[in-house]
Amino acid sequence: MINFDYIRPSTQKAAIDALNKDATSQLIAGGTNLVDLMKRGVTTPQKLIDINNLPLRTIEEGKGIIRIGALALNSEVAENELIVKKIPLLSLALKAGASPQIRNMATVGGNMMQRTRCPYFYDTVMPCNKRQPGSGCGALKGYNRMHAIFGGTETCIAVHPSDMCIALAALDATVVVSSPKGSRRIPFNEFHRLPGSAPQKDNTLQRGELITAVEVPDNAAFVKNVLYNKIRDRASYAFALVSVAAALDLKENIIQNARLAMGGVAHKPWRLTSAENFLKGKTASIAIFQQAANMSMKDAKSYGYNKFKLTLAPNTIVETLKTITGLS
Amino acid sequence: MENNFFDVGFADDLDRVDGKAKVTGTAKYAAEYELPNLTYGVLVDSTITKGSITTINSKAAEAAPGVIAVISHLNSPKIPGYDAGANPVKGPTGGKGLQIFNDNIVHFNGQPVALVIADTFERALHAASLVKVQYKKETHETDLDEAKINVPAIEGQRYNDYLRGEANVYKNAPVKIEAEYTIPIEVHNPMELHATTAFWRGEDKVTVYEKTQGVKSAQRSIMQAFKLTEENVQVNAKFVGGGFGSALRTWPHAIAACIGAKKTGRPLKLVLNRQQMFTMVGFRPHALQKIGIGATPDGKLTGISHEAISHTSQYEEFTEGIVNMSRFMYACPNVNTRYKVYPLNISTPTWMRGPGEATGSFALESALDELAYVLKIDPIELRIRNYAETDPQRNLPYSSKFLKEAYQLGADKIGWSSRNPTPRSMKEGDLFVGYGMGSGVFNASRGTARALARLNADGTLLIQSAVADSGPGTATAMTQVASAATGIPVNKITFELGDSSYPPGPTQGGSTTTSTLGSAVYDASIALNKKIIDLAKENVVFHTTEIHTAKPEDFVFENSNILLAANRSKKMFLADVLKGAGLTQVEVTEESKGSEELKKYASYSYSVHFVKVLVNPATGVVRIARAVSVCDAGKIISPKTAESQMIGGVVGGIGMALMEEGVIDHRYGRWVNNNFADYHVPVQADVPPIEILFVNKPDLIINPIGAKGIGEVSLIGFAPAVANAVYHATGKRIRELPITPDKLIS
Amino acid sequence: MSNDKSFEPEEKQTTLHEARRRFLKHSSAFAAITFASPILVKAAENELDEKASAYFEKVSLQLEVNGVLHKLSVEPRVTLLDLLREQLHLTGSKKGCDYGQCGACTVHVNGKRVLSCLSLAAMQEGKKITTIEGLANGDALHPMQEAFIKHDGFQCGYCTPGQIMSAVACVREGHAENEEDIRQYMSGNICRCGAYPNIVDAIVEAKKGGSKI
Repeated sequence: MINFDYIRPSTQKAAIDALNKDATSQLIAGGTNLVDLMKRGVTTPQKLIDINNLPLRTIEEGKGIIRIGALALNSEVAENELIVKKIPLLSLALKAGASPQIRNMATVGGNMMQRTRCPYFYDTVMPCNKRQPGSGCGALKGYNRMHAIFGGTETCIAVHPSDMCIALAALDATVVVSSPKGSRRIPFNEFHRLPGSAPQKDNTLQRGELITAVEVPDNAAFVKNVLYNKIRDRASYAFALVSVAAALDLKENIIQNARLAMGGVAHKPWRLTSAENFLKGKTASIAIFQQAANMSMKDAKSYGYNKFKLTLAPNTIVETLKTITGLS
Repeated sequence: MENNFFDVGFADDLDRVDGKAKVTGTAKYAAEYELPNLTYGVLVDSTITKGSITTINSKAAEAAPGVIAVISHLNSPKIPGYDAGANPVKGPTGGKGLQIFNDNIVHFNGQPVALVIADTFERALHAASLVKVQYKKETHETDLDEAKINVPAIEGQRYNDYLRGEANVYKNAPVKIEAEYTIPIEVHNPMELHATTAFWRGEDKVTVYEKTQGVKSAQRSIMQAFKLTEENVQVNAKFVGGGFGSALRTWPHAIAACIGAKKTGRPLKLVLNRQQMFTMVGFRPHALQKIGIGATPDGKLTGISHEAISHTSQYEEFTEGIVNMSRFMYACPNVNTRYKVYPLNISTPTWMRGPGEATGSFALESALDELAYVLKIDPIELRIRNYAETDPQRNLPYSSKFLKEAYQLGADKIGWSSRNPTPRSMKEGDLFVGYGMGSGVFNASRGTARALARLNADGTLLIQSAVADSGPGTATAMTQVASAATGIPVNKITFELGDSSYPPGPTQGGSTTTSTLGSAVYDASIALNKKIIDLAKENVVFHTTEIHTAKPEDFVFENSNILLAANRSKKMFLADVLKGAGLTQVEVTEESKGSEELKKYASYSYSVHFVKVLVNPATGVVRIARAVSVCDAGKIISPKTAESQMIGGVVGGIGMALMEEGVIDHRYGRWVNNNFADYHVPVQADVPPIEILFVNKPDLIINPIGAKGIGEVSLIGFAPAVANAVYHATGKRIRELPITPDKLIS
Repeated sequence: MSNDKSFEPEEKQTTLHEARRRFLKHSSAFAAITFASPILVKAAENELDEKASAYFEKVSLQLEVNGVLHKLSVEPRVTLLDLLREQLHLTGSKKGCDYGQCGACTVHVNGKRVLSCLSLAAMQEGKKITTIEGLANGDALHPMQEAFIKHDGFQCGYCTPGQIMSAVACVREGHAENEEDIRQYMSGNICRCGAYPNIVDAIVEAKKGGSKI
């Protein structure tokens, strides 16, 4: 690593000013992804702006929402009374990620900003359009077992590795972002991007903007019947092959409303909107679940080593819905 | 005089003697010694797979803050050992090991091509990224599937076909199985990163803190590399953080550390990073196997044909006994085996826990299971029907074999007979339940070693040998042996190891340490006892006609006392024997080795693994619900550490069966998953409680302590047990490891 | 996979402007520059003067490690793990991977278990660090250490300090109520020797032992 500069401002303004003043600078919060990337030489900021002194850690109730400060630790959010009670799906997803030690360091904002785990992205000797636009995509005809089946392009088939984000996407969270120009709100499903022809941009955050909070609707409908189902190669401390975040608003056996999102399958959390619409008003049954799963696979594409995801993904959707509704 | 060692009951609650050091963090590993003026070395790895280095531009690196030197083939001092043609880091079989910085040839991606030395780790690491290497690339080959078609296999005696009876008898057998099995590259990945800290005391004297499983062999390698005498090379390995075979030989990075330290005149610490743990310290090679087994309808094997293809590097030959188990495990009149190895542009593989047999047993034990289903005979019964009462390959009697007992113990424990043998017939909720078993075997032997035993005036006993312990618990086991043989309580015994100036001990590998060193400790203890007897006979207080005329075997040693067996009131405290003789200590050093008698026997350790799996049919996820492993390792010397050793092998087996796979992108010849996040080893949540049983009957022939080895068989046979259980659960036969979810849902 | 082997390794460019920019940043350095000879400035620009660049490349750091207050000056790029091992000579915390993938470097920072290899030392200002060396009370081992010895919760010992620091935190977090929980919440500590079942037994014993964990 180069010996970068390091500052620790105590106000948001100072942090953003520093970020804007120096194009080679980056913000650091938990550092669990950034320090790793710096060690691998993937990213080489010449200045780190430590934002841990900013007052962005609170978790509180707002009007119809739960507001989670961007610096709240993954472990704190996962065990927070309010979260467990009101947005249990988020708690479940957080607990499925990484390891207890990493969850004690990682922040909500950082979890959203984390980069892909694609080995061709990580290895600076390999071609990667995300890390080095124009250099090619090593995964496309390479070892792509962990890669996207939705929304990929010949330019990039990377997957966003977060578990937390899948739950936030399913729950229609909102990202609150602040900059010298003021603040804006980004619907969670619009925060992360598809690669398109500019895979180097993971999300729609502009340079000089700071994530200050995530707001999640306080919706009693999605408290009782929830599950985060993560399928991985070992029982813990591994990224998802596929994952499903599901919340059903059930009255007796009839689905009033559904929220479904998948991880491990795309450059961004993959919301299963057509399945959600299909399930609305239907009586829960395995056949219905299978239909919902099949229609979710409409645009799925295999790149070789990840062909199994075309089976694993719908199977996991079905299994998740079965488990939630007690039909297994 | 000799205790009847085979009757000794060893305490099963003796804690590991080095436990306190390990749980307090005071145990020091190779990279943890504080030395004055210490420098840090970081290796620069090649980014091409095959070719040659055309230029190395180290100007920016050398100019970087704190950098003291950059060494490469351009400026490396000549290594005396290289000149002689003899390779100091000699490969295990043939060819020359990688002669670091000797020339500009690149043999594999990740080959060390330069060493940067600086005054801090951060500076060395950063400067390494500033070294600019340019290459002339050549076409590489890292794909075994291509090499086996395009390139000739390596020739030599090691690859001669084996034949007993007739070849390929299985093809015409009444019942037969023919199948292919594959294992990927598997990587040891001990927790401790390989490291060497070296410093020279003058031109020709060097001290090395080394991560090694063989203190004396590391010393020899360094002696040969730099043409130094034994007394001028000091190797210390007091604590070693796991090896599993990766530290059985001295690797080029250790030589590089010595080179670097010599060049700067300052101590140098060189630690490999986790990526280099895949490219620089060996791995279990990828292997393709074909097995054909023929039998009569009542399950008598008529023929086994076993063929294996694997790989080595292009500069060195590595071989292992993949197909050997098929020759000696079961009674079968006709056996033919073939083993071929192809050179690839990957670094040289090395022995990894259960080398050869771990790979071969996956094929043989899976194939037998397949045969059992075709025959409709229970898999254990099938093995018993083909039980070898004598070694079928060498036609020798066994020094001991309690495999039948092991089958029974394990089957009873897991409830084997209460399972429904029909595949896909058992469920727990939505999950399919499967039971499977597999056998492991590994050669048991006894090598040569020396041990020192010194009784001090205060009654404490010191035992010393130049052996290293990478985890099995050698010091604890040796303490048990010494205590049983001398009658001195364990808390009065210290076992010292890890220092090349101690009497030469064995390399800790091949499951031979307890047998070899235990015998040496035993012999040293008996020799010490003899000296004490002689002193006791001269002792004024102890002296009587009765004592004076007694023979050595008339005495017993208990609780730090020497007693006359026939008259136990005649006893003396050992410390008093020394005092009476006016001595502050009594010391012996014994060399111990197996007798010629041993050559008349075949000796093996055996294991039987029983596994219960739960398989999710929708997602393909396999979890081990229960593991029962039984071992015939002769007499168990240190029950606590022996059980841990077995558990450790089983955990390794879980990794081998379900998740471990080294991946190289053959387009570039470069590793893709060489890190702990992408190469999966088992974590806590993967492992259920593991039940270990030992037959614990002594081998009366192999050595005076009756012990065989555990380290390899603890893993060998586990992967096929899992594959067999998965078949029983699902009706799907997976013949390619690891058994990941994708393989079960396609 | 196809045999396309045409990709060339990326060329890395050294940027030398960083030294000067950093040099000018700190006010004390700025004062020094005002009065420094042209040679000193030029040397820094060329990254040739180690002492100058070393002086201006560090940040001050005050932190408590195992109850001892340290006042240090560290390069921002130094990790907490390397600070502990290389500068404070507390080698109990281990480097197993250096990328946050194995847990061997686990320490407590302000009572929370974290990975010291991914923690920058400079970011620990004012924090209280506890390493394995700080767990025992003089000669009296911590109940978790004793339990690990009793249940043989280790073999080679390299992952052990991290396991024990993690285990102590796991109990304090309330995540050791049953064996399933223990397995899940200890999965951030890899043990290649496979001592896992014995580690679970040790934690169960330590927790029910009654002593304060």
